[in-house]
Amino acid sequence: MPSFDSEKAAELHRELHTHLPSDPALRVKTLESLAVERGLVSPDGLDAWIEAYSEHVGPKRGAQVVARSWTDPEFRQRLLADASQAIKEFGFEGSATGHLKAVENTETEHNLIVCTLCSCYPFSILGLSPAWYKSVEYRARAVREPRKVLAEFGVDLPDSVGVRVWDSTAELRYLVIPQRPAGTEDWNEDRLAAIVSRNSMIGTDRDLRAEAG
Amino acid sequence: MDGIHDLGGMEGFGPIPIEGGDADFADIEAWEQRMWALNSQMQVDGVTIDWFRHGIERMVPADYLSFAYFNKWCANYLMLLLDNGVISMEDVRRGTTGDRSAPAPAPTLGDVLATVRKSNRSFAVDQEQPPAFMPGEPVRTLAHIRSDHTRLPRYARGVEGTILTHHGSHLLPDEGAKGRHAGTHLYSVCFKATDLWGSDANPRDTVTLDLWEPYLVPA
Repeated sequence: MPSFDSEKAAELHRELHTHLPSDPALRVKTLESLAVERGLVSPDGLDAWIEAYSEHVGPKRGAQVVARSWTDPEFRQRLLADASQAIKEFGFEGSATGHLKAVENTETEHNLIVCTLCSCYPFSILGLSPAWYKSVEYRARAVREPRKVLAEFGVDLPDSVGVRVWDSTAELRYLVIPQRPAGTEDWNEDRLAAIVSRNSMIGTDRDLRAEAG
Repeated sequence: MDGIHDLGGMEGFGPIPIEGGDADFADIEAWEQRMWALNSQMQVDGVTIDWFRHGIERMVPADYLSFAYFNKWCANYLMLLLDNGVISMEDVRRGTTGDRSAPAPAPTLGDVLATVRKSNRSFAVDQEQPPAFMPGEPVRTLAHIRSDHTRLPRYARGVEGTILTHHGSHLLPDEGAKGRHAGTHLYSVCFKATDLWGSDANPRDTVTLDLWEPYLVPA
């Protein structure tokens, strides 16, 4: 069982700092060897997890949810009321989406998601977060100067649009519902899902383009 | 704790590393994929999500800033296994324990996808105490925190905000990091950007945090 002793954790980290090789690939190899020997994991099982997140669990799921919110107003209401429940209609419930909240962009509001204290992210609908989301730069700056951060992603917001930053400090996770682009009125759900970028569901992309589909 | 992990609002960092940092899971380094899989399959007895997070907060600060995300996880898993006595520092140095337990059963892809689906854990807990605050009410965050695990970031301390939503009672991380199971009311609290950052901020902008009742006092 854990000691739950904060000072002991810090001391162990200092020792690890001294003893571990600097190459992260070698460090992870060491962890894997020790975990396999202790019967905690199996190499084939690790391959299965990698396949699951490479091929099956990823931002295409979130894009499908967003596309349906554009075509089905009743689904959109259910999604805004309780997103954890609504994604069960797709079988997308899972890791880190037990308390999921959907927030919608409008003509006058833009939503941006960050986790300043670690890097919380709704894995079962967006897969693994991109490296920039976990970077110290994004975590430090997104709450303080969101408009400058957005500009670096190519999103230039006029003063008429307010920015709603959501810092995921508890177990709630967030999904941004971007606006449906004009010119897609007769598109079906699959075609719409193809133009929903991962970054638009985090909030670092805003104006989706009809021609991308 | 006022640790290196509490990055919100810290100045001096450069541009967001979008270039080279925008890959999907299928395209990241093999060791990073491996680390995610290790995290997914490995159960370390008794570890709570808050003890895990606090473990990362106690990393060597310079390592915290310079290590890639999954490299931090690697250091933390080694720390957790050492703390539980599952491995020794000598095992880490040698890269082997020198013996083998019975191998863990390998889940299939189908097993993994079923596990993902069942992992939508709720952190809500029953609560007899009524909530102290209602949506629309002004509140102020604590100005000071204790030197252990908490989820009230430095940039949002001693500031006035407004209760946006009440989420019922959720497990309190401050207790979870000590292995204790206790819940208090949780709220989304909306702050004006100008109240957090002064006149440099755009008056139209807000920052919303999810905060537990013990972090808040009436404004």
